[in-house]
Amino acid sequence: MNTDQVPVIAGILELDSVGVHLVGARCKTCHELYFPSTPTCRNPECTEDDLESTWLASNGTLYSYTIQYYQPPPLFRIDNWEPYAIGLVDLDDGVRVSGILSGIAFEDIRIGDRVTLGALPLYIDERGVQRMTHAFFKFDHAANRGAVEQ
Amino acid sequence: MSGVHILGVGAIPWGKQTVMTQLKMALEAIKAALLDAELSWKDIDGVVAASSRFEGGMGWGLHANELVQATSEQGVPCINVGGACAAGAIAFQTAFSMIASGQSEAVVVIGAERMPKGFIPRPPGGQDDITDNDFLRWVTMGLTNPAYWAMEAQRRIHDYGTTPESFAEAVILMRNNAASNPNARFRKSVTAAEVLASPMVTDPLHLLQICPVSDGAAALILCSDRLAARVSRMSVEVAGIGIASGTYGDPAHRIPTVGGSVHGDIPHTSEVMSAAQKAMSMAGVEHGDIDVLEMADNTAWHLLAWPEMLGFVEPGQGDWMLKNKRYNLNGDLALNPSGGFLSFGEATTAQAVLQICELVWQLRSEASGRQVPNARVGMSAVLGLGANGGSVVLKR
Repeated sequence: MNTDQVPVIAGILELDSVGVHLVGARCKTCHELYFPSTPTCRNPECTEDDLESTWLASNGTLYSYTIQYYQPPPLFRIDNWEPYAIGLVDLDDGVRVSGILSGIAFEDIRIGDRVTLGALPLYIDERGVQRMTHAFFKFDHAANRGAVEQ
Repeated sequence: MSGVHILGVGAIPWGKQTVMTQLKMALEAIKAALLDAELSWKDIDGVVAASSRFEGGMGWGLHANELVQATSEQGVPCINVGGACAAGAIAFQTAFSMIASGQSEAVVVIGAERMPKGFIPRPPGGQDDITDNDFLRWVTMGLTNPAYWAMEAQRRIHDYGTTPESFAEAVILMRNNAASNPNARFRKSVTAAEVLASPMVTDPLHLLQICPVSDGAAALILCSDRLAARVSRMSVEVAGIGIASGTYGDPAHRIPTVGGSVHGDIPHTSEVMSAAQKAMSMAGVEHGDIDVLEMADNTAWHLLAWPEMLGFVEPGQGDWMLKNKRYNLNGDLALNPSGGFLSFGEATTAQAVLQICELVWQLRSEASGRQVPNARVGMSAVLGLGANGGSVVLKR
């Protein structure tokens, strides 16, 4: 099946042939990084508002997590809902980001684990397009050997 | 000496309301506070409402106006404030300023709320794009409010070895304190086994370790030195007060954000810690002076973490304090003698007002069945969406 894939919300995620990227913003003056992208620099030490779009680091370390056993309100749409894990990840560039933890058995999740960014299908929308969100997967040392990290 | 006093307090029993509207609940709480203050509407020259986003206020958050129109139209200044779960603290600060400035003599502070059922949903009015975190967190991962706290709790287990039993003990303490509080919703004692047998909502937090949503109302009457001196009713002086917003780089993963920069030197939940520091400094008190702490226990994790973050005990010591009953009514620091949000449930705009009501009852030695022996100094601490923190220190 060759279903079109698009991010669940515009401006958060870029999907290309190389992989998946979280879209953030960097202040050109103080170099603070933001996720999601923002038009203004929030650093109180910085008075400039000149930001550029940037991809965030693809790898990080699990700071904490939870497993949600109850289905969230309908604004969260997913086909075939079942209890799932959400992680809080310290990306290698210093931004702390939450996201679904996928492909790891609940009992195998450990704080301090290395994780890597990926895309996760949430649902097929009314036009038959697969809507994707960002998620964190177990860091695959073999697959990442030699890869250039952000 | 701030020159501002609390002359009357009032609350209605919290729970699920089937009969009273939000307006009726507010009127009942104010009636109780006026009775307690031995004043009437004619004495009131200011109303500050912590405005609900769910009901009443003519749809514009005009709850104070609605109240005076329902009771006593006499030109009284009406102020309506926001601040989400900290709205009551912002309303209190506003009323305090009105009296401290000399503009008002007797001001009503009111919070009343009927909450929608279940997980608190996204309120209307936001943009359906990445500029709205509250949209983003739902559509990208369905991150519920208790899941934010659960991640804090999970990290605490990692950092300090907190056990499921410790989180259960926090609930046991709250229920024991609530047992004789006529306004509390959950007054039945529970065992650790019962807490841990309740459904797992968001790991490691069980249902009984998360405050539910409730319908509730609470009111205060603040007054000036001049009025306090003129009446016979015993007043409690506001010794210290602080409100604050967050500090950039705060390590808390703040509801409803999905990402942020963490700066190591910034305190966790900085909005609350800043507010508490201001209140303590204004009151000229140290941690050891404080007998009673009424703090926002949205979950069992808060009861372990917040007294540490507020500086009452060392980081990681909360488990020991709970286990050794040091947070009990007759312990080193009485923690939420009211029973807290875990026993009341969360009625967002009313809860910070309720905390202050409890402090007044404690300092007047009127907290029957849950009285902290010889309570002389009480402190509140509350957190609201948008990084709003509020704290009050009262002295007998």
